[in-house]
Amino acid sequence: MEKKRLYWRICCIAAIILSIITFTPLVIPQGVSTPELGGVPYSLWTSFIITVLLVVLTYIGTRVHPGMQNEEEDL
Amino acid sequence: MIFWVWVFGLIYAGLLVFASLKSYKKNRSSEEFMMAGSNIGLTLGVLTFAAALFSTFTFLGMPDFFRINGVAAWIFLAVSDGAMVFLLLWFGYHIRMKVKGMEFRGVAGLISRCYENRLAGYVFFLSSFLFLIPYVGIQIQGIAIFMDAAFPGSFPAWGWSAGIVLIMLIYSEIGGLKAIIFSDAIQGLLLLAVIWIIGWACLSHFGGIGPMFDKIGAVQEDLLSSPGPQGLLTPQFLLASLIAILMIPVTQPQFTTRIVVMKSMKTMQLMAVSLGAFAILVILPTIFIGMYGADLYSEYGRDEFFANAFLYDQPDAVAALAIIGLIAAGLSTTNAQIFALGSELRGLLRGNENSIMTKTKIGIFVFSVIAFFFSIIVIDQLVLLARVSFAGTGIMGPMIILGILSNRKISPAIIYLSLTGLIIFLLSLGGWIPDMYFGVRLDLILFIALGLAAVISHLTGIKRQLIRPKTETEN
Repeated sequence: MEKKRLYWRICCIAAIILSIITFTPLVIPQGVSTPELGGVPYSLWTSFIITVLLVVLTYIGTRVHPGMQNEEEDL
Repeated sequence: MIFWVWVFGLIYAGLLVFASLKSYKKNRSSEEFMMAGSNIGLTLGVLTFAAALFSTFTFLGMPDFFRINGVAAWIFLAVSDGAMVFLLLWFGYHIRMKVKGMEFRGVAGLISRCYENRLAGYVFFLSSFLFLIPYVGIQIQGIAIFMDAAFPGSFPAWGWSAGIVLIMLIYSEIGGLKAIIFSDAIQGLLLLAVIWIIGWACLSHFGGIGPMFDKIGAVQEDLLSSPGPQGLLTPQFLLASLIAILMIPVTQPQFTTRIVVMKSMKTMQLMAVSLGAFAILVILPTIFIGMYGADLYSEYGRDEFFANAFLYDQPDAVAALAIIGLIAAGLSTTNAQIFALGSELRGLLRGNENSIMTKTKIGIFVFSVIAFFFSIIVIDQLVLLARVSFAGTGIMGPMIILGILSNRKISPAIIYLSLTGLIIFLLSLGGWIPDMYFGVRLDLILFIALGLAAVISHLTGIKRQLIRPKTETEN
C-alpha cells in the first residue's frame, strides 16, 4: 500500500512537471520551429510526446492509485 | 451528394431511433431516466464522454484554429486534454467516493450538501447556465451554417437550428440519459471515422507529413511555431487554457455525471486512459485539415473555409459523411449539455418526485428554446467561445474541489468569492472592465486567487468531529 502511495505521488509529480515544462521555452520557444523531427516542427513533436506521456502516466496511475484497492466496490 | 446525404442520413436516423427505443422503458424510475441506472460500461463510457467533449468545436473549430494560429494549437487542446485525463483519474476517484451510498442528483445538489448551504448549488447552476447555453447555441449555429452551405436556399438557418433542437428534445425525452449515451456511442465513432477520412484526404493533398510542413513553411512560416501569426498562443494564454480545460470534468455537469454513472471505479479509471488515446486520435487529423486550409484558403473567412475543405473539395460520399458527422458531433454535445442542465435543476428542486420530474422536463425544454434563440443571435469563433465556456465554468472549480475533498467544516466565504469571481469575469466579457491586469490575463488571476482562497478555507476550516454512536450500555 505504501509503495503504491509512493508510485502514485511520483506519477502526480511527473504529470505536473510535464504540464509545466510545456509552457517554457523548452517546448515553445517563441518563433522557433527547429529542430524538426521527420519534418514536424519542434513545438509540435515535443508537445505531441508530452501528450502521449501524460496518457501513459494516466495508465500507470490506474495501476498504482492507492484507491484501486477498493476497485471491486461498485456504487 | 444529395443521394449520399439521404443514404447516410437514414442510416444515422435509424440508429438514433434504435438507441431511443432500446433505452425506452414504460415504468422507468426518475433515477433510470436521469442517471441511466448508474451502470455504464467501459466502451459506452469512453464514447459518451468523448462525444460530449469533442463537438463541432473539435470538428470545425480546431481545423480553423490550426489554420489561423498554427501548430501550437496542439498544446491548446491536446496537451490540455492529456493533463485533463490524468486529473479525471484523481478527481473521479474522489467524487465517486463522496457520492458512494447516496443518491447522486447532480453537482449542484451535491455541492449544496457538501457546504450545507444551498447558495453553493445555486451559484454552480448559475455558472453552468450562463456558460453552457451560449456554447450550445453556437454549436447549433455551426451546424446550421454548414447545412446552409450544403443545401443553399432550402431552409433559412433558423429552420435548420429549430430542426436540430427538435430532434434533440424528442430522443432525450423518449430514452433519457441512456438514449443520449447510446447515441453518443454512435456519434463518437462516426465523428472519429469522418474526421480521419477528411484529414487523410487533406494530408494526401500534400503527399505526406514532411512535405505538408515544408509547404506551410514556405507559405506562412509563423504557423510552425508559437505564438502563431496572430500572436494569440502565448505561454500565458496556453496556461490559462490548460487550467480551464483541466476543470472541465469538475465543473461541467455533463462530464461529472458521466464519471458518476460509470459502472465501477475500475471502469471509470480505464475510461480516463481510453479518453486520452481518443483525444490524440481525434485531434491529430484536425492538424491536416487546418494546414490544408492554410495552404489553399488562408485568405478566406471561416464559413468559406468550412464549405470548401469539408464539402466542395471532397468526393460526394465523403462530403455527405461530413454533413452527417457534423450533425452527430453537434447533436451529441448539445444534448449532453442541455440534459445536464436539466439534471442540475432536478438536484436543486424539492418536493414530490413526479412533480420534480415534470419541472425538470419543462426545464430541459426551456433551456433548449433559449439555446435555439442564442444560435440565431450569437456570432463568434467556435474555439474562442468554447474556451470562454470552459473558463467561465472553471471559475467554480476551486469551490467544487474544496467541497468534495475537504473533511472540514468550511466557511461559506469561498461560495461568495466564487460568485464574485463569476461576476468579475462576466463584467470583463461585457467589456466593462479590462481583461488584463499588470500584463496578466484576468481568467488566470481568478483561477489563482480562487485556488488560494480554497487552500486557505481548508486550512482554517474546523475539523469535523466524528461522533461515535453510543452503545446500549452507555445509554
